[in-house]
Parts: sequence; structure tokens; C-alpha cells
Amino acid sequence: MLTQPEARRLVDRILTLASATRGTAAHVAVRSTREGNTRFAVNEISTSGDVERLAIELTVQFGQRSATAVTNQQDDRSIDDLVGRTLRMARLAPENAEQMPPLGRQTYVAARNAADPATARLTPDVRARAAFAAITAADAAKVAMAGFVHHGSRSLAMGTSGGLWAYHTWTSCGMSCTARTADGTGSGWAGLGSSRMADLDAAALARVAVDKATSSARPHKLAPGRYTVVLEPAAVASLLGFLIGALDARRADEGRSFFARKRPGTRLFSDAITLRSDPADGLLGAAPFDAEGFPLAATKWIDKGTLTALTYHRFWGGKQGKPPTGQPTGWTLDGGTATRDDLIKGVKRGVLITRFWYLRALDPQALLVTGLTRDGVYLIENGSIAHPVNNFRFNESPVQMLAGCDGLGATAIPSVGDFSELRVPLLRTHEFNLASISEAV
Amino acid sequence: MKLSRRSFLTGGSAGALALLAGPRLTTARGLLTEPKLDDLVKRALAAATKAGASYADVRVVRIRRENVSTREDRVERVSSSEDYGVGVRVIAGGAWGFAATPSVTAAAAERAAGDAVAVARANASLMKRPVTLAPVPANVDVWQTPLIKDPFKIPLEDKAELLLAINREAMKVPGIKFATSSYSAIAEWKLLASTDGAYIEQEIVRLGPANAATAVDDKRGEFESREYQLPPRQAGWEYIEGSSMLADARRVGEEAVEKLKAPSVTPGKKDLILDPSNLWLTIHESIGHPTELDRALGYEANYAGTSFATPDKRGKLRIGAPILTFFADKTTPGGLATCGYDDDGVATQKWNLIENGILVDYQTTREQAGWIGAQASRGTCYADGYGSFPFQRMPNVSLAPGAKERSIDELIAATDDGVVVAGRGSWSIDHQRLNFQFGGQAFWEVKRGKKTRMLRDVAYQANTIEFWTSCDAIGGPKSWWMGGSLSDGKGEPGQVNSVSHGCPPARFKQVNILNTNRRTT
Repeated sequence: MLTQPEARRLVDRILTLASATRGTAAHVAVRSTREGNTRFAVNEISTSGDVERLAIELTVQFGQRSATAVTNQQDDRSIDDLVGRTLRMARLAPENAEQMPPLGRQTYVAARNAADPATARLTPDVRARAAFAAITAADAAKVAMAGFVHHGSRSLAMGTSGGLWAYHTWTSCGMSCTARTADGTGSGWAGLGSSRMADLDAAALARVAVDKATSSARPHKLAPGRYTVVLEPAAVASLLGFLIGALDARRADEGRSFFARKRPGTRLFSDAITLRSDPADGLLGAAPFDAEGFPLAATKWIDKGTLTALTYHRFWGGKQGKPPTGQPTGWTLDGGTATRDDLIKGVKRGVLITRFWYLRALDPQALLVTGLTRDGVYLIENGSIAHPVNNFRFNESPVQMLAGCDGLGATAIPSVGDFSELRVPLLRTHEFNLASISEAV
Repeated sequence: MKLSRRSFLTGGSAGALALLAGPRLTTARGLLTEPKLDDLVKRALAAATKAGASYADVRVVRIRRENVSTREDRVERVSSSEDYGVGVRVIAGGAWGFAATPSVTAAAAERAAGDAVAVARANASLMKRPVTLAPVPANVDVWQTPLIKDPFKIPLEDKAELLLAINREAMKVPGIKFATSSYSAIAEWKLLASTDGAYIEQEIVRLGPANAATAVDDKRGEFESREYQLPPRQAGWEYIEGSSMLADARRVGEEAVEKLKAPSVTPGKKDLILDPSNLWLTIHESIGHPTELDRALGYEANYAGTSFATPDKRGKLRIGAPILTFFADKTTPGGLATCGYDDDGVATQKWNLIENGILVDYQTTREQAGWIGAQASRGTCYADGYGSFPFQRMPNVSLAPGAKERSIDELIAATDDGVVVAGRGSWSIDHQRLNFQFGGQAFWEVKRGKKTRMLRDVAYQANTIEFWTSCDAIGGPKSWWMGGSLSDGKGEPGQVNSVSHGCPPARFKQVNILNTNRRTT
């Protein structure tokens, strides 16, 4: 992985080469990573690897003409080729009236807990031990375990011909595991992400997955319908992502989103709902600046139920007379004080859902989304878990999820893939449309 | 037979001589041009063996991409990228290990080989069954996408002008407020060498064009888009140049406007006629993924899920009507997954997955063949770059046409009350590939054998087996059409695969049609 001085030298070298051509403006980003991962399935390790990556991205502008090229080779010939190729493409590219010049010098917030030295030094045997803990738990419970342990050490260096210099380095890691019962009728999942491997307790995650698998076995049939649901953080995160993705002001101004006729100040939800982003939140893999080097600020997008801001890129902000926000990172939906048992106790008849799968937008205007439940679904009756039930396809909106919310628990960072960036709580909501039965386990 | 690149080039073997006499090298586009790689792969394989690997393979991969995207009358982004590096995969102590570096030097490749063995050794003590590989001939060959015009050599202005012309056509339609178009080209070059004697150089060129038009009704605050996809293909620029993208642009806009004005569908059970532009994705999700052997045996349980089509049901499970035969094929001309050899060095082939409605086979790699008692791999191993571990990925999976010529118009004419769906819309399927729900881009009502009007807000939801069993008519050979995707995801960390699916139009009886518009429910 490149050190900060190495990245700086590389950025400066490219800026010097690109700026030698009269009339150019340039933006350089260098991304350097070292990643490791181990997969396990059917109670043994399946694949594992350590990978180094590099991406050197140059954007050149001639007035309103612009082009971007990327290479991962840093030898002189490759850099000369990168600069030459980008200049040629930029000259040929048609003018774009919306092209903004590269940013100049900026000031950034300092990230907290972004780079963990121990996680940066992780070796394959640490991953193997985590996998071993999960496999041991599975063997003892006679279930089949599959899972994924990953970590990465990353840096992003950025410079422009206008004088910008930005550098951020961070670590990330995550572990998830899925246990399945031998008869194929039960499945359970658990997963967490962080910037610190020490935050992840492999044995504890495995216990949750095993418990969910055995407790969800031999599910009863439950009819589709609108139910009160208690959603665990992984489910909340995957549905909430659609709402976050719709916060773009331009699409709203153009009449092409849920927020088309809703402006900051519009009351959407109860006082309990606050959605914020914090570029200094290193545990979420947040960065203090976006892909342009624009400085990000901690922002509440929904504050106590009221829409308070939409995201503006530089061009659209300028056109609309609004300050640009950049592309935010480090999202959190604030939680509450309720435990899972507290939320379940208040439910006469409802469903507890572990996580969702294969979510796709159905109607961008209503923010209607389809997807499926998996890895642990339970009927709640009279304030306690009655028994496991079948999986469902849902057709529902994150707006309805938040509008119907009447209880929030502690937050978590569920590791739903090889990257995690949302901190979300356990959440109870009502009238959730579980539209059809899925026979999958 | 083991060959070095040099002996191969100088015709030092019968195999090489045969190749030199064949048609492929005469059209080779600059392949076999980096002699230093001979040394690199040899040293990496030797380093892996010396460190204790019982098997090793080295992939040197260079992926070039070019993208142009436009919106209305301007080019929003022009970009190109190159990603080059070396990945070494080994078996040591019965476990897999992998390491990769963007530094393409013999010394770096040797270090990666040592790292890969160290990774394997860290895992070896946890292996209950050592990894074993099905045998494969020591293939030495060159393969490349047949093409006439290298898309990377076509002037950027030509590409931008075509896309802007498409937008102009769409914007001429009254009611169209937004128009977008884009083009991407991907050239994947790779050299694979293994301790089992593979020495294979391939270059695969794929193109992905797309355009869309959006109509907005400001009064009602509503909008509808019509996305149109000239199917991505393995091809040269001549594919786009000779296509009807520009000619169809206005119709795309007109359909977006008509869709915005169209009545919202009345939900219920109806006969469903799927155009191949929609059906290919249904095949991908409900037939392609369930017949991946690793998925069926639980190896993807943590992310992509498992499968209803488990090997104990092979030869017995009826997945669809007897008129349906689905075949896998990594040799289909133009298919996105087509190539000469997979990333295990296995020659590609064609075989049936579902025969007359019955599950008969799976997609396998060298590691997996023995899991179902097969003697040889089906050749479906793939890694999406130098830094990715090669594993089982979907070949082109297609539905064979019916023997009798029959067009979609004939299917419509034979339908009393139904809905026609065209284009790729929203898609979602459960983690065992049973409950699915698909949308589309354009929908038409069918009454008494005629397309009467467009509809909107349509999705169909079904159980895979019930759905394919309800298929009562399919089109003939002339109606067969191949769609595809450049971004099929699988695995952890996620990898993308490019894959095509061919099919005729097909009719399904009494399928559950949903209305997806929250505003009307």
C-alpha cells in the first residue's frame, strides 16, 4: 500500500505532467488498498486471499470539455500514457455546460476511529481463527455454517491543479455467518461491520446465527398481509438505503423522486426519526471529503421527523442558489432505548424479521421497494415470540417503515456484504406489507 | 502437453502447428506480444511449487474499459480505465490460497505465489476434505472475440455523436423531458498458466449500449421512463453501428409518453406473454442461478443463497413443462460468457441443464465436478480480474426454441385475456430461487387475440416451478433472441460476470399480475 508521501509524490507528478499542456485543469485521485478475506461454507474454509489494489484516476478539463482515465500501473510509461490518453479524450469530448472546475484548497474535519493499526496488520491466520470459531459452534450444534470474514486497509489521496490536497486513510472489516439446520428447514444469520477487528466477536456472531437457525426450523405457515413488524438492524439498513438514495435535490427538482413535492421543512415522520451523516465517523468507513474533494459536514437530513436538507452537487446547488453538500458519507439513523424484548412485548400480533434480501425499487415516486425476508422470521403473539414462520416477499416503502415506526432500539452496523456504511437501530413499525409467501429457507 | 509461449509461437509441437494452420491466429489482434510474461508465469508457478503447493495457476489479466454517457444534449462523462495485475491461486495442504498484486513483475508474482501458499497453509488445518481437481488436458491455445472494428479505436466523437443523436430523436417526442444514452466497452485480456500445463491467452471484447427516455406529467406530478437496451454482446463496434438504436429512439420516447398516459393494470390472474427482452432475465434468475452447483450445495449460503434444485433431485425434479429445454453454452457466438477456455483451463462446451422440463445437470468447475460424481468439469470457472479468486460463474443459459416456427404475434393472436411484457424492469427473487417478482419496461393488454393498449405498473409474481410448469406455448427458431447482462453479481467479496440468455417468446397461463403503484393502492 502506498504511504502518504508516496501518494503525494504520485499525485504531484501527474498534476505537473497534466498541467504542462496550456489551458488544462486537472484532478488526480489515488486509491490504494490491501484487502484480505476468508470464506467458509459447509463447515470448512472454502476460499481465501490477500489482494493489493491501486487505482490512479486523472480527470482533465479544457474549459467545459472533460475526460477521466484510470490506470493501476505507476511506472513512468503508464503514467505518461494515462496523461496522454486523458488529454486526448478531453480534447475530443463534447462541451458539457455543467462541467465544474476542480476545487481549490479545502479544510476537512478530522475522522475518528478511521484507521486501526491492528486491523491494518491482520494476517490470514486471524481470519482462519474467526472462521474456526464459527465452524466449531456449527459442528457442536450439528448445523451447516457458511460465512465471510474480511478486512481492508485503504488510502485515498487527492490533488488538483487548483491547489487542493486531501488524504484519508482508514481500515474496514466485517464478519457475517449463516447457519442452516440439517433438515433444511431453519436458517439464521448474524453479521457486523467496523473499522476495528477487535469489535467483532466471531464466536458471539456464530452463536446468534446458530440460535436463529435452530429456532427458525420447521416454520409454521403464516398468511401474507399487513403486519406489525419488528425489524432487526440488517433489515432496516437495506430498506433505508433507498430513502438515502432518493435525497438528491436535482431529481426532486426535476419531478423524478419521492421528494419531488416535498421541501425541507416538510414533516414526514414522528419526533423519534432522525437521519444524519457524519464524515468523521470512522467506524462507518466515512470519509471527510467526497470524490471531488468537497469537504463534507455533519448534517441532519431528517431531524425529529422533519425533512431538513437534500443533497446538492456543485452545479445544481449553484443553479438553484443553494450551498452544495457534496456526497455525504457516514449515515446513521438514530436509535432509541428499547430492547428487542421491549419492542416485542408491545405487539399483540406481528412478525420479527432478521434481514431482507434482493431488494429492488418498484416505484421511485412512492419509493416502493420489493424484497424478501430470510434467515429467521417469527410470529409474535401477545408480546412474545410464538413460533417461526415462513419467509415472505414484501412490497413496502422505507417511508412507510419510518412513518409507522413507534419504537426504536439500540443501533448496530450490520455487515450485509463486503462493505458497510449504515448505523441503524432495531425498529418496530406497523402495516408492513408482507405481500406473498416465499417457500425458501 | 506442456508448452512455453515461445515453443508455441515457433510451432514446436503438433498442437501449435495445428493452431498456426488454423484460422484463429491469422486474425489475432496483437495477442502473444509480451515475452516477459513467459518468465513471470514460470517463476510464479515454480515459487508456488517450491513453497509446497500441490497445484498452482497464474492469471495475468488486463481489463480495459471505456464509457461515454450522455444526457439530453450534452456528454456527461467520458472515461477509460485499465486494470492490470497478477493473481496466483494455489492448493497447499488441501486448501485453497490466493494472492494478487498490481505489480506485473516476476519478483512480485513470486511474492504473490509465496503469499498464496501462506494463505492456504493458514486454512489447511480446518479442511475436512482436501480440495481435489477433476483432470483436464494441458490446453495451449489462443482465443479471441471475433470482431471487425475494435471499439477502442473508434473516434470518441463518433460514439458521442451517435448517443447525442439518439437523445435528439427521443427529445423530439412531445412530452419527453429527459433522455439519456450510454455506451461501454470492456476488453478483458488474460493469460492463464497452470502447473497442470495450461497456457492459454484470451481476449474478450464486450459492448454495452443503452438508452432511455422519461416523460413527465407536471400537472399530476408523475413520470414514467422507458429504458431500451440493445443487448450487450461480445462484438466489435460494427454491432452498434449496424443496430437500430437510433432508428428506435423515437419509438422509445413515444412508448414512455404512452406509458405515462396508460391505465394502471388491474391486478389478478392473467395469461402472460413474455417477450424475449423480458424473459431472458427470468431465465437468468430462476434457471441460471439455481443450477450453479456451489449454490445448490450450500457454498453461497451466506450471501447469494442456496437452491431448490439440489443434486438429490437430479433426473427427477420437474421444473417446467415438457416443451422446455434449457441449455448452458459458453460457445454461443456473441454470448457474453462465451470464450475458448474457462479460468480452470477447461475447454468450453454446450450441455443441457433442464431437458424436457426435468433437471438433468449443473454448472461445474474442476473442483466441483467430483461433488456430483462427474469425471470432468463443465468449464464454468471465472474470476472478474487479477485480484479475484476464480470460482463457479454462470455460462450463457438459454431456452431452446420450439421446433415449430411461431412468432410473438401468433402467441398474442391465440390469447384471449392477457398481458404482454417487454424489456427489463425491476427484478427480485428469493434466496432459494423460488418466489420471484419481475417488472418490465413496456406492457400491453391483450384482449381476444389483439394488443389493445399499453398498461403501466405491471409486475408478475410466481413460484419458479409453478411458473415454468404453466408455460404452454413458446416461439420457434426465428423468434429466438439473446439478451444479457454485464453485471451479474455473486460471491464474497462480490464479483461480476457477463452472461447472455437466449430465448423465444413464451406464454404462461394464469400468472399472478400485480399492480406496483403505491399511489393507486
